[in-house]
Formats: sequence, structure tokens, C-alpha cells
Amino acid sequence: MRNIRTDAELQHLAERVEYFAGDVFNMQLPEMRFFILDPMEFAALLEKSVYPTSPINIWEGKRIANKKHRIKSGQESSLYYEVVQTGNPSYAYLNETNSALTQASVMAHVAGHCEFSELNVLHDSDMDRTEYVMYLVRKTDLARKQMGERRYLDYWNACESVLPFIAPNSQYNLENAIDQESTVSRGSFVDEEDADEAVQPLSLVSDTMTSLLNFEEPKKKFIDEEKKRDRSEALSRRGYTLRAPCQDILGFLRHYAPTSQSEKSVLDYLYVAHQHQDFVIRTQIMNEGWAMYWEKKIMMELFAEDSVRGAIDYSKVFSGVCYPRPWFQRNPYHLGYHMWLHIEELYKEGKMSLDYHEEVDNEARRLWEKPESVDTHAHMRHLVKSVTDYEFLRRFLTPELVEKFHLNRLDPRMAQQIGVTQEDVYKADKHWIWLNPEPVVDEMLKFFTHFYRPRIYIIDSDYLDGGLLLMHRDDGRGLKAEWIRPAIMNFSRIWKSPVYLLSKDKLYRASAGGYKELSVKAVLFEEVVERMRKQQTPFKSI
Amino acid sequence: MTADRITSDESEGFFNDFIDDQLKDKVEEIINEGDLDRIDSDNADLIVEVDDIEPPTLVYGDEQEGGGGGAGSGEPGDEKGKLKFEIPFEKFMELVAEKLRLPDLSKEGKGKIKELTYHYKTFGPVGVLLDKKRTFKRAIRTSVGMGTYNPDEGRYDVEIRKKDRRFKVPQREETPKFRAVVFYIGDISYSTFGERLILEKRLLNFIHHWLDFNYGKNNVEHRFFVHDAEAYEVSPEQFYQVSNIGGTQAAPAFDLISNIAFNEYDPATTNFYAFYVGDGELFGNDAKDIVKIMQDELQPIFNRFGFIEIQPSRMSCLNETVAKAFGSDKVVRTTALKSKKEIVQVIKQLFEVK
Repeated sequence: MRNIRTDAELQHLAERVEYFAGDVFNMQLPEMRFFILDPMEFAALLEKSVYPTSPINIWEGKRIANKKHRIKSGQESSLYYEVVQTGNPSYAYLNETNSALTQASVMAHVAGHCEFSELNVLHDSDMDRTEYVMYLVRKTDLARKQMGERRYLDYWNACESVLPFIAPNSQYNLENAIDQESTVSRGSFVDEEDADEAVQPLSLVSDTMTSLLNFEEPKKKFIDEEKKRDRSEALSRRGYTLRAPCQDILGFLRHYAPTSQSEKSVLDYLYVAHQHQDFVIRTQIMNEGWAMYWEKKIMMELFAEDSVRGAIDYSKVFSGVCYPRPWFQRNPYHLGYHMWLHIEELYKEGKMSLDYHEEVDNEARRLWEKPESVDTHAHMRHLVKSVTDYEFLRRFLTPELVEKFHLNRLDPRMAQQIGVTQEDVYKADKHWIWLNPEPVVDEMLKFFTHFYRPRIYIIDSDYLDGGLLLMHRDDGRGLKAEWIRPAIMNFSRIWKSPVYLLSKDKLYRASAGGYKELSVKAVLFEEVVERMRKQQTPFKSI
Repeated sequence: MTADRITSDESEGFFNDFIDDQLKDKVEEIINEGDLDRIDSDNADLIVEVDDIEPPTLVYGDEQEGGGGGAGSGEPGDEKGKLKFEIPFEKFMELVAEKLRLPDLSKEGKGKIKELTYHYKTFGPVGVLLDKKRTFKRAIRTSVGMGTYNPDEGRYDVEIRKKDRRFKVPQREETPKFRAVVFYIGDISYSTFGERLILEKRLLNFIHHWLDFNYGKNNVEHRFFVHDAEAYEVSPEQFYQVSNIGGTQAAPAFDLISNIAFNEYDPATTNFYAFYVGDGELFGNDAKDIVKIMQDELQPIFNRFGFIEIQPSRMSCLNETVAKAFGSDKVVRTTALKSKKEIVQVIKQLFEVK
């Protein structure tokens, strides 16, 4: 790995890219640090979640061993396009085997990512991210020595089972799901109708008539109140209480699982090194589109001043990267880039104005061209600051655009493979078939509800006296049966108490004492949420 | 940021250690079924395919990805995913030695010679190579003591006297060096094609690599001989290609390697190995002549002499005659190879210590 300053040509290009990005296009950039890597360093960097170091672990070793074989045998290219770890400073890595033209485009692309990271609504950018992770790597290496190889390996492997369940930007993240001593409790939710039935203070005076009329009530109310009190007392005993399901499971365990210092170091590293993936997945289309948009703008300037040559080669690469794919294959470069171009066009033609939206004449709308004297880029940046992919697509991706961007276009062989019937075909030509664009938008939006992963939540951290109760939110698909046991055994290894998983009508229990499966009555996720809002026991079956 | 080189070597090593047990279980399969003949080029690695391991987590049941249950979970892997990676040839041979309990051949008695090297580790007042740094240091020290060098008084003379000189003194180091020559003898008069040829190639390839591993690639000479009614030396490629239909006489081949062993090598400093492969169908006194050559000339100087009958028939008699003459000899081994599954067993019989 060497600094870009060791290469005068690349250093000059980097300066020109930063000049156009910062001074000409007013992009809000953090400090960008470029490094040059050889192909195997690049491969290693990718296996380390784009940080230069990582603690020793067999999974990285497995992936790199396999990757080396794939690169050697020609099954995988070692020519990676761009890799950047955003934050302030941002670390971007250039592959030494790339041409100057490609390096320039990578740097311009990186500028787009860096600005997106700075501006976005999820506040991705943070100070010294890479340096902090490197510090955590050192702590984890120390933890390995303290724990001994076998225990370290066991614990790390257990954590790998929880690693997919990091959700700092979920509606059910730690902030929204947990009341701590240090945070102000939002209190319990009381419905209007419940308000009438609000518990009366237990009367110390008893009269015969009241006793006769409400013989059971005071007792039940008393017990309910007692349970509520117990649950809120848990806050003072444990320092926190769950007020809603928590989807950020690794985040929860990192803060609240009983751990030694060494174990905490492992959890800290894994969480911090992987937490930004949640941001990436929620903003991938906007983010990659933003990077492509600015990459092209900056490259055009570089070509104009003759800093780099090869505009035709560049356009070939660009169109290859931005090649349209069907909606289920999601090419974020293509979709994002064209969406941003479309939005830019809307602003330029004044189609984002109130007048345009209030115009009822379709012909007038079609012919609308009332450019406003607005800074288009400022509006686009405002969008970056306000929405994620879900809202971006919901608001701007119309069936017309689906068709225009070829998101509903399939190769006939692919259509056959995925079971498209003749009735589904909207139109066809010699090379392609087209499906109805209407449902495509909804299909694309569905991705953001589950990200192709089962949705698992912690719903009780004191289930049956100290157990951790997880719930799989039913979306019609079952969990991989043979992995449930080893996975929740690993959860239990971290929680150091029994862990339960509620999935449909099954309750799975894993503890040091063994593993059990029980049949229970299925419960809806919404019911559980409601019960938690009312500070009631989220689920009681046994 | 202070990472000089971004590497996953440590994690890869960790993974290799972890996977060792799986690899040990695969050793026999690789020898029997693997493409060992592909690793002829220098520094070539061995491509190994094992059941993939994935950390078990909560995923949809209808997903096609993923392989076996995870490490540390105590769950066995299933057969869906496969993981391919490369292990260095040396590493594989170490596993072979461990798994098959094969001896370290380089420690076997004969042919031990010394390799001499000289390292400059000490320094003295006489010698050929002047150590300028040490000499100058001593000269400064003396000049300061004598007062000829005193910057405070403006004197800067450094006088290098004879006794200030320090020379690098070579130190003689003796390291053992081993050299080996392997003779492969093939009967081309029998129908060596199809499965027979595959078996022969696979076995001899392993022997080739195993001896290279033990003595070092550059210290082993591999020589190939074939015979029908006469004996010839051939190239490794020809060894598996030539064939002839006609009479068989194997004794001339043994005569030939005896001549070569005594005339081209120093029996006192060379480890001799020979492996005869054929169908064992010899006629007349051929087998007895071979036994005589073995007893008189070859057995005393060879480390190992293996007779391997490949898919022998009822008429095969060589092994029987040799075994009768040598019994459970430490040098002379007889064995038969009928199918791929027996390769590991044959290797053990050829190399195990008696």
C-alpha cells in the first residue's frame, strides 16, 4: 500500500478532481485520502470490510483462500473498480493495475460517494471512522491473547451468527426500542378507551356494596399494576427496558449482554466495522447514482482540459456500468444515475413547482417548460439530505420511467427461467419481452421492508426469568430449519442465558442445558408491538 | 494510518489450521482421485475442494445459498456448498506424511554428505575482508585516547593503526545434504493402457512427489527405463507412451540400472530408490535372474526397491519369486495394485518402516 503522493501523475489527477468537485461544483467533501494497492491487497481489503486491518478470524481466511483460487483460476477478476471507506477523513483505494483514465474516474466517483456520505439523511459520515476501527482491531487482537485461541474462536463464531442482524437505521433500532436510565422514558401508551379504565388507586376503605359489585376487579387491577411496576423496576435493575421490539440485535447484545472486557472488544469491533452496511443498503440506488452523476460531470471537465484522454474508452466503461438490468437484479448504478438525471430535468423544466402539480390540463403538463431560476444542484442535495432509497423511488419512479429505464425488460431465456407466462407479457420484440411496468414499482419498494432477510426482533430480554426472546416477523416464508438450532445456540452463547425464538407457531429454546422446540399459538407482530407499548408482557405461552 | 501492506495472511493461516482436520480426512481421496500430475510446475499449489462452512444464522429456508453448519456451533456440514482453495504442495505432503505415517526418508542411513558454507559471524585482527566500520570505530577510540582527535581543540586527525584493524572471519558451517536418484522401470510389453496406465501414472506420480518432498526438488534425479526383450532409458513422457508387442525379459533392465548406479553415482553418498511396475508375467528364468541381480548388486546399496504388479493375472509370478527370496526385507518390497482405492495402501507398503 502506498500513498498517492508516490505517484506524481495520479497525485496531479487527484488534485484536479478535488478542484472540480470542490471549487467548480461546490461539492461538500470531507478530506479524501487516496492510496494505491496491488490486486491482492485489494482482495484482502474487501474481505476486511474496506478497512486496512482486521482481527484474525477464520471466515476472512476462508474467503480470501477461496478468492485467491478464483483469481488464479480466472473465475474472478482482480481488477476492482472503486473502493472507498467514507467518513472524515475518507479512505479511497486505487488499484495499481488500472490505467490513469480509470483512476481518474474512480477518484471522481469517490468524490460523489464522499459528498453523499456527508449530506445524507442517515448521517453516515463520522469522524476518524477508519482510525477508530483500527483501534478496535488492536483491542480485539489483545482480547484474543487474553481469551486464548479456542475461546476467542468460539466467541467470534457465535458472533458471526448475529452479524446479519445489525440495524442502526431501522424503525426498531436501539434508540427507539430501549429506555435507559440516562434517557427520558417516553412512558407507556394509554388508549383513549383505556383511559376510562385507568387503574384507580387501591382504596383502603372498603364498603360492602363496592366489594359485592367489583369483587374480582380490584384484585386484577392490582395484579396488573404490580406487573407493570415489576417491569418498570427492571429498568432500574438492569439499566434499561424494552419499550418496543428491537431489530438491532447485535447492537443490543453489544450494550446489554453480560460480557468480559475481551468479549466486549469482539462485539464492538464487529458492530462498528459492519454498522455502515445498513446505510449502504438503504441508500444504494441514490448513493451509486449520485457518484455516477458527479463522476461523469468531473470527467467531462478533465477531458475538456486534457488532463486525461480516452473519452471513447471511458464512455464504453460508463455504459457498461450503467447497463440496464431487470428490476429484480437491481443495478443501482444504472437506476440511480438515470433517476438523478430525470430529477435534474424535472427541476430544470420547473416540474417540481406547486404550479405544475396543481395544473389539471394534461396537455399543459405535457408541454410544461417553465424553468425557474433555482440552483438545481441545491435542490438535488436537499433531496439527499431528506430521503432514502425507499422514498426516492416511491416519489419519483413512475411506471413510465420503469419502461424508459428498461426495468421491466427481460431476455426471453431469463423470462422462461423465472416462469413468465404468455399472459404476463406486455409487449415483445425479437430480442426482448416486456412485462407490465405498473407492479414493478411496488415490487421494488418491497425490498426495503425486508432487504431479502428475515426480520428478527428482540421482544423480551427477561423472558422466563432472564431469557432473551426473539421473534421472527411472519412474512409467509419459513426459516432454514437446520440452522435454527446452531444459530440460537450461538445467540445464547453471547447472551449467557437461554435464548428463545418465536417463529410462526413454534418456540425454539436454546441454552447451555440443551435445545427444545415447542408448539405455541402463533401471534402477530403487531399484537406484540401493541402489548409492548402498553408495557404488557409481549408474549406468554408457557 | 500505519498499515504497510494490507493482507489477510494471518486469517488465512488461521483458516488453514482450522481446516487441517478436514484436509487430513481428504488426503487419501486426493491421492486416489486427485490430479497430482498437475503439480509438476515449480511452486504449484494443490487445489482442494472441501465442504463449505458458513456461520449458521437465521435465513429463509427456501434460499439456495450457503453450505454446511458453522464452526463452533457443533453442527455438521451438509453437502450443498463446496469450497475450493489452494494449499502449498509442501503443506499437502506434510499432511500425507502425518496421515499415512510415512517416514522422513532423508534421515535414512545411506548417502549422507555434508554441505559446507561459510558465514562471517566473528571478527579478528587478521584476515582478508576488512570490516571498515569496526576498524574506524576502534581508530576513533584510540585517536581520542591519544589526543590526536579532539574537536574542542580543533584536532581532527584519526590515525588508523595496524592493531585497530578488524577483519571478518569466516566460520565454517556444515549442514547435512542429501541426494537421491530414483529409477522407474516399466514393462512395455504388457498391455499398458486404459485403467492400468492411469493406475501406474497415479502411483508413480505420487512416488515422484514424495521423494522430491523428502530430499528437496533439486536433490532428486528421476530416471525412467522400459523393457520388452531389451532395456532402454527413456524420457518421462515416453515412459507412459511407448509400448511393444512381443517377448518380455526384465532382467536386462535390472542389469542396466545396476551399471548406472555403480558407474554414474557414488554409492556411498547417494540414496538409491527403484520401482518396477508391470503385470509380473515373466517367463523362463527371468524372475530368478532378477533375484540374483538384486541379491548380488542392488539390495546392498538401495534404500528401497519396490515391485508393483499392476492388475496382476494368474500368470504373474515376479512378486512371488521376489517375495520368496527376500521375505520381509527392509529394502525390497512387493505389492500389487488392482484398483484406485488401493493406491494409499500400496504407498504404505512401499514406504513404511519395518
